[in-house]
Amino acid sequence: MTPTVSASGLSLRYGGTRALDDVSLRLTPGVTGLLGPNGAGKTTLLRVLATALPADRGAFTVLGHDPGTARGRQEVRRRLGYLPQTPGFHPDFTAFEFVDYVAILKEMTDRGVRHREVRRVLDEVGLADVRGKRIRKLSGGMRQRVALGAALVGEPGFLVLDEPTVGLDPEQRMRFRELIAGAGEGRTVLLSTHQTEDVAMLCHRVIVMAAGRVRFEGTPAELTARAAGRVWSSTERDPGAKAGWRTGTGTFRNVGAPPPGAELLEPTLEDGYLLTLDDAGAEVAA
Amino acid sequence: MTTVVEKPLAPGIRNEPGGPSKAVLALALFESRRLLTRIPVLLAFAVYLGWTVWRAGRAWGDYPALQDADRATQNAPMLVGLAVLLSVNQAALRSRRHDTERHFAVLLLPHWCRTVAHALSVVAAALVTAVCVAGQFGWEALRPGAIGQGSVGELLVGPLTVLLSGLAGLLMAGLVRSVIAAPLLVVFGLFLFAFFSGTSDDASRWLLPAVVEATSNTLPSDLMGRPAGWHALYLAGLALTLGLVAVLVAGGRKPAVLAGTAGALAMTLVGGVAQSGGDSPQLVKARERATVHPEQVQSCVRRDGSTYCAFPEWGPRVGDWAAVVDRVRSLAGGGAHEQDVVVRQRVEARYGLSGDGALTPLERPHEVTVGTQWGGNRVPEFSAAVAGVLIAGDEKAATSICDARIIPLMWLAVGWASEPLDALRRVRLDDSITGSALVLQPTDGLSMTAAQTEVLRALLDLPRGEAGARVKDRWRELTAPKVTAARAAALLDLPAPDGEDKCL
Repeated sequence: MTPTVSASGLSLRYGGTRALDDVSLRLTPGVTGLLGPNGAGKTTLLRVLATALPADRGAFTVLGHDPGTARGRQEVRRRLGYLPQTPGFHPDFTAFEFVDYVAILKEMTDRGVRHREVRRVLDEVGLADVRGKRIRKLSGGMRQRVALGAALVGEPGFLVLDEPTVGLDPEQRMRFRELIAGAGEGRTVLLSTHQTEDVAMLCHRVIVMAAGRVRFEGTPAELTARAAGRVWSSTERDPGAKAGWRTGTGTFRNVGAPPPGAELLEPTLEDGYLLTLDDAGAEVAA
Repeated sequence: MTTVVEKPLAPGIRNEPGGPSKAVLALALFESRRLLTRIPVLLAFAVYLGWTVWRAGRAWGDYPALQDADRATQNAPMLVGLAVLLSVNQAALRSRRHDTERHFAVLLLPHWCRTVAHALSVVAAALVTAVCVAGQFGWEALRPGAIGQGSVGELLVGPLTVLLSGLAGLLMAGLVRSVIAAPLLVVFGLFLFAFFSGTSDDASRWLLPAVVEATSNTLPSDLMGRPAGWHALYLAGLALTLGLVAVLVAGGRKPAVLAGTAGALAMTLVGGVAQSGGDSPQLVKARERATVHPEQVQSCVRRDGSTYCAFPEWGPRVGDWAAVVDRVRSLAGGGAHEQDVVVRQRVEARYGLSGDGALTPLERPHEVTVGTQWGGNRVPEFSAAVAGVLIAGDEKAATSICDARIIPLMWLAVGWASEPLDALRRVRLDDSITGSALVLQPTDGLSMTAAQTEVLRALLDLPRGEAGARVKDRWRELTAPKVTAARAAALLDLPAPDGEDKCL
């Protein structure tokens, strides 16, 4: 499959910190989840791919355009939808005005066409009824949907979403999952998140980052499979486990290297993620 | 192998970008709409329009001289300018204030293009102001009796003030990322305005957007001596400079912007230097001639035996003057009833608009001064001057009257008016209708004692026909020198006055 985004050797330092370290990846249409602990470099990677930050080294293309050149950068931006982490809003704008404003900044200049498009994305994110309401009067979830609408306006081919479900209640998160799933139909979405559930439910691919490097790139099933035979149940917390916690049934769920004869459990994506991070930590320590 | 295809566009949606220029225009329209619907801007326009309408209603009796009416459009837009300054500053800072810059930085239109759009939104506010100014001036020009001509340079000052203020607010947003900076700029601007308005230095006061004149002297338009065109060039250059520097500060370091900034600076300098040149020797001579020898630049017409000499722009006003002369003469008795006069328009132009316009009384027989303003109080004042000449023979003699001749004089001046008492109030300096007072006229005033006022009031209380008949019957005695108010009352068969009969 021809990748929408293809990056190789991306590196970026902030002072003495290596925020990105030789990151290479390929993104294809559908939703790709980007998992990693705080400080893993997820937001930095998203900002580089969204052309907000230049990398120190490495190269990448988006839909065949090289953002390393001014012209290529414009072409990438023309095809990009970006929802930053904790997006800002102009509170005295209405939802319609805010998305309209972003549409203009995306060089949608035909007023009639633009307004139809703004109405369409607001319908899509379920804000048709409140499009004339000032943003300061909208709830946090509604504001987040305004930001998603702004990212979707103009039918971008590549959508970058930086932790869009942070701070949303479960109902709002479910609603957002629907929206992201819809957005991923026929276009490439890179979704940064801490929620492994989101990845399990939405993503056809997943990338795990730690300490600025890609530690895993594959399908959610492949990530889950990493934990196969490494999750077991016990009546006490196993001191040899990388992680262990008491479940609702009163038994302990352990992740790591099981002792002989342990009662193995079906692994989850989260187990695979935890073990990947643990392996990465061991690698860094070594 | 599969091929990556972008998601098909929704039906009816065309996602072809229009390019940065079209996007800047689209954004300018967006920002213009927001700017013009900001509450401070709406309030400022409402106050501006309300004040203009109120002022137009109050000045119903005045006949406009368009060379003054153009300047009257300059002050109120300053209020709009202040509102635009604050609003544009806030708009330009909103991305930083609300942390949307991280998001907008990856969109197609760069920061400097957004600054251009803000600048164009200020142009929209200036255009709306221009429409208001055109309406205000057009209203004056269409009023009956309007004379003279306005200056495009003067009319541009209001819109250019709004443009200058808004672009100053925009530049301030680029230089200081705090919303407190713009209000401080407003305070500083008001301080500068107060400081330079108070100075008599001609060069420095022209650095301000609107240059206010201290007096209301109306001059022929060719004697104004205000470098309105140069001033408009200076303001336009300064506004352009501020706007283009704001674009440069925002990152728009393009050759065209740099060249434009250099051109705008040159415009500012040329306008600034040219406007501070002062009065030319030719203008000084022309003003001297208009003041001392107005007959050299005036044309005269004859109406019913009297002659009316006016500066060229005031030709259409002769009919109004002649109507007053006819009414005054119709009330006079004796030879004054048939006396022809020469009405001479005069102006004190030697000190320009800053002169106080005081004119000395004429000594040539039967020659009456009329000023350059008309309507309202100027009508009974001229009427008093005509009456003075009919009774005393010349203006100088009339201003020296210190006896009961003032009674028939004032009867002639106000007796023909539809509301004689109102005319009397308006022609007296203190707006009184009792006691002693100074009576205003185009040259020096006349003095009325309390007793004379009493007799005149009693005369005005009579039916107009009866009062006129009594004055005409006793015309010779009433217009003789050294007659007291008491004697005049007796001659007119009116009660003797109680008040003092001593000139001021």
